[in-house]
Amino acid sequence: MTDLTRKELLRRAAAGGTILSLPGLLAACGSDDEEAGGTTATGPKELANTLRFSNWPLYIDVDEKTKKRPSLEEFTQKTGVNVRYFEDINDNATYFGKIQRPLSQGQSIDRDIVVLTDNSRFPGLMINREWAEPLDKSAIPNIKNLQDSLKSPGFDPDRTYSLPWQSGMTGIASNLGLTKTPVTSVDRLLEDPKLKGKVTLLTEMADTMSVVMLANGDDPAKVDDASFDRGLRRIQRAVDSGQVRQFTGNDYTGPLSRGDLMAALAWSGDVVQLNADNPKLVWRIADSGGDIWTDNMLIPKGGDAYTASTYMNFVYDPKIAAQIAAYVNYVSPVKGARAEAAKIDPALADNPLIFPDDETLSKTVIFDSEALNNQDYLEKWQSLIGA
Amino acid sequence: MNWLHRHRGLVPYLLLAPGLAWLAVFFLVPLGFLSYQSLQSGTFDFGFVFDWAFYNYWDAITRYEDHLIRSFVYAGLATAIALVVSYPLAYWIAFRGGRWKNLFLLMIIAPFFVTYLIRTLAWQNILADQGMVVGILRDLHILDSDGRLLATSTAVVAGITYNFLPFMALPLYVSLEAIDHRLIEAAQDLYASKAKAFLRVTLPLSLPGIFAGTLLTFIPAAGDFINAQLLGTPKQHMIGNVIQSKFLELIDYPEAAALSLLLMAFILVGVLAYSRALGSERLTG
Amino acid sequence: MTAAIRRHALTVYAMLAFAYLLLPIAVVIAFSFNDPKGRFNYVWQGFTLDNWRNWNAVPGLSDSIVLSLEVAAISSVVATALGTLIALALVRHRFYGRGTTNFLIFLPMSTPEIVLGASLLALFLNLQFATGFTTILIAHIMFNISYVVVTVKARLVGFDRHLEEAAMDLGANEFTTFRKVTLPLIAPAILAGLFLAFALSVDDFVITYFNAGAETTFPLFVWGAARVGAPPQVNVIGTAIFVLALAAMAANIALQSRRARQAKGLT
Repeated sequence: MTDLTRKELLRRAAAGGTILSLPGLLAACGSDDEEAGGTTATGPKELANTLRFSNWPLYIDVDEKTKKRPSLEEFTQKTGVNVRYFEDINDNATYFGKIQRPLSQGQSIDRDIVVLTDNSRFPGLMINREWAEPLDKSAIPNIKNLQDSLKSPGFDPDRTYSLPWQSGMTGIASNLGLTKTPVTSVDRLLEDPKLKGKVTLLTEMADTMSVVMLANGDDPAKVDDASFDRGLRRIQRAVDSGQVRQFTGNDYTGPLSRGDLMAALAWSGDVVQLNADNPKLVWRIADSGGDIWTDNMLIPKGGDAYTASTYMNFVYDPKIAAQIAAYVNYVSPVKGARAEAAKIDPALADNPLIFPDDETLSKTVIFDSEALNNQDYLEKWQSLIGA
Repeated sequence: MNWLHRHRGLVPYLLLAPGLAWLAVFFLVPLGFLSYQSLQSGTFDFGFVFDWAFYNYWDAITRYEDHLIRSFVYAGLATAIALVVSYPLAYWIAFRGGRWKNLFLLMIIAPFFVTYLIRTLAWQNILADQGMVVGILRDLHILDSDGRLLATSTAVVAGITYNFLPFMALPLYVSLEAIDHRLIEAAQDLYASKAKAFLRVTLPLSLPGIFAGTLLTFIPAAGDFINAQLLGTPKQHMIGNVIQSKFLELIDYPEAAALSLLLMAFILVGVLAYSRALGSERLTG
Repeated sequence: MTAAIRRHALTVYAMLAFAYLLLPIAVVIAFSFNDPKGRFNYVWQGFTLDNWRNWNAVPGLSDSIVLSLEVAAISSVVATALGTLIALALVRHRFYGRGTTNFLIFLPMSTPEIVLGASLLALFLNLQFATGFTTILIAHIMFNISYVVVTVKARLVGFDRHLEEAAMDLGANEFTTFRKVTLPLIAPAILAGLFLAFALSVDDFVITYFNAGAETTFPLFVWGAARVGAPPQVNVIGTAIFVLALAAMAANIALQSRRARQAKGLT
C-alpha cells in the first residue's frame, strides 16, 4: 500500500515539477498515452543533456561578431539542452561511407541528428536499412508548418523518419553578359551551337536527369527503363558533341562567374551568392521544370529521438526558420517563414530564389527515390560522367 | 654495447621493428581486409558474401582498361615533366642555395599549406578562358582563337604535375646536396667542360634521387582523382575516379577493393621493372 | 659573356620555377584581400583589409588549422624517426626479408587513399578504438613512413662509409660515430623527409576524413566550406601560415649565421 502510494506520489510530483517547462508540457501530453499503453511506466520523457547535431558547413545562422549560432543559443536557453554542433558533412556519399560501417554493426555514431540530401540515394538507404529512428511526432506540433509540396517524398511517404532542413532547386544559371537572354530551355542548353563547350551539367543524377527527363516529356517522379534511357542518350549526345564541357558539383560557380561558361545547370542557393557580386548571373527554373531537393534531418540509430524531435519542432517555428533562412539563403521548408523574414529583411523575403512563388514551385518535382537506389541506373550514370 | 656486438645480426631487425610494426598493424591489416573484400560478391542492399570472387579482378581489367592506361600515361607524363622542372630547381638550391637552403626547401612545400582543393581552384582561376595565360597562348597561336586549357587533358596533366612537384624536388635535392663539390671540380678539370662534367659525374651521382623522386611522384599520381574531376571532362577520368565512384556512389565495395589491388599490383610490377632497368642494387642499397 | 649568361641562366630558371610553384599561392594571397558581397570568392570585387582584421570571424576555422598543425608536427616527427631507422636498416644491412621490406614500403604509397582510409576505419571500429585525434595521428604516421624512407634512402645509398670507419679507427664507438659523423651528414636528407611528411600531413583529406571522428582539420574544413563558398578568411589563414613559416625559417637561419660568425670571432 505504502509502496504504491509512494510511487504514485513520486510520479505526480515529477509530473507537477516539470509541467512548468517545455519538456514538461510535452511530457505531460505524452505520458497520457503511455499510461494508456499499460506497459512499464517510464514516466515523463526527458530531454537529454546534449543534442549532437551534424550538419553541412555554413548551413545555420551565425553571428559574425560573436561567432556563436543564435538559433542554437536560443534553443539552449529555452530547453536547457546543450548543442554540440558538428559541420562534418560535406558530401552525402563520403559521409555515408564513413557512418555505414558502425551503423551496420549496430553501433551508434554518437549523433542525434544528421542531415542528408534526397537527390542522393542515402536518406532512402538509411531508412530502408532501418538505421534511422522514427521521429517523435508528439514532440513536433509545428510539423503542421511543413510546406505541402514536401509532405510526402518517395523515400519517406509519411515523414516518419525525416524532416526537411533546407531545400534547393535545380535550374539553369546564365551569364547574361554572354547569353543576352536567360537560358530557360533545355533544348537551348543542350543543343544550341552558340553555347557549345560552355555548358556544364551536374554530377548528381537526380538533378540532371530530372531536368532532361522533364524536357523529354517524361516524369522524373516515376522513372522507368525507357524514360531513363531516353534522358541518358540525350545527355550522351550533348557530351559527345562537345556541347557539355564538364559534369560538376558546385565547382561550376568559379567558371560561371569568370565567363568561362555561358550557362550551367545550377542550384538556386549558389546563384543567390553569385548574383550579389555579379547581377548578370541569373537563375531560372527551366521552362519544362526542374527538381527540388531537400537536405533532410534524420535521427541515426542510437540517437535520442525525443531530444532531436524537440529541436526539430523548434526550427519549424516560422520565426526561427526565418532567422536561419536569412543567413543560409536556401529555400525554407517552413510555411510562414517568408512573412517572418519580411520583418527581418524585406529584400530577402522578395527573393524568388529563397522564397519561390507558387508558379516556380509548381514546376518542381522530386526525383523518383527508387530510381535513386537502382544499381543499374546508377552504374549507367557513373559511366556517363566518366567513371 | 657488448650485447649489441654479439647480436650484430639483430641490429637491422631492431631498426626495422618500430616502423614495420606500425605498418603491419595499421596498413597490412587493413590491406588484408581489403583483399578479403575484393573476393566478396553481392550488393550493399542484400549484403556481401565471401565466395572467392576472383572474377571481380577480371571484371575490373576488362571494363576499366581505358582508365588504367590513361592513369599510367598521365602519371608518366606528369612525372617526366616534374623531373625536367624540378631538377634544375633542386640543383640550384643544392649548389647555390648557401645557408638559405632550408628556406628554399620550405618554399617548395609551401603550396601544401593551402590544401589541395584551394590550389586546384586557384589553377582554375589562372587557366580560365578569359584569363591572361589563355589569352597569351591564343595570341601566340598555340591555342585556337576559341581554344581553352581547362577541361582538357593538358589541364589535368598540368594539375597533377604541379601537385606532385615537391615529391620530385625534395628527393632530387637530397641526393644532389650530398655530392662532394670537389668531385665536380676534378671532373671539370678532366673534361674541360661544364656540360660533360655534369653528364659524367653529377647526373650519375644524382641517380638515387631521380629514382626516388620518380617513384614518389608516379606512384601516388597514378591513383589521383581530384585533378581529373575538377580540371577534366569525363574523357579524362582516371582509375582513381572509378574507385571513388565504386566505393562512395555505387557502394560496390568488392569492385572498389579489386580495382585498388589491381592498381597496386600494376604499380608494383612497374616499379620492379623500373628498378631492374636502372640497376636496383645501386639505387636501393 | 656566355659564361656569365650560363651562370645566371640557372638562377633565372630557378626563379621561374619558384614563380610557377608559388603562382597559385599568389592568387590565394591576392584573394584574401578581396571584398565579395556574396559567399564565393572567385572574381575580384575590390580591395579590403576587413578579412585580415576579422581573421578569426569564421567559427571553427582557426581551430581546424591549429589541429592540422599539431597533427602534422607530431606525426612528421614520429614518421621521420621511424622511417629513418627503416632506411638505415635497408641500406646498410643485409638481412633476410630485405627485398620484401623494400617493396612493402611502396605499398602504402600506391594504395588509393579512399580504400586505405575506409579500411583503416574498419580496423579501428573492430578494435573498438574511438576515432578522433589519436586515430588521425596514427593514420598520418602510417602513410608518411614510406615517403620518409624513400627520401632518406636517396641519401644513404652511396654514402661514403670511410668517414665512419675513420671515426671508429680514432676510437669512437658506434653510437658516437652515428651521432657525430653519420647524423650530421644525413641531416639534410632527414630534414627533407620531415618537410615532406609535414606537408603531406597538413594537406591530407581523404584518409583524415574517414578517421577523424568529430575532429575537423583544415582540409576537411575547407572542403566543406567550399560547397557554399569558402570565406576569404580561409585565404587569410593559409597566407598567414605560409608567411609565418617562412619568416620563422628565415629568422632561424639568420640567427644561426650570427652565432657561427660570433663563434668564428671568438676563435
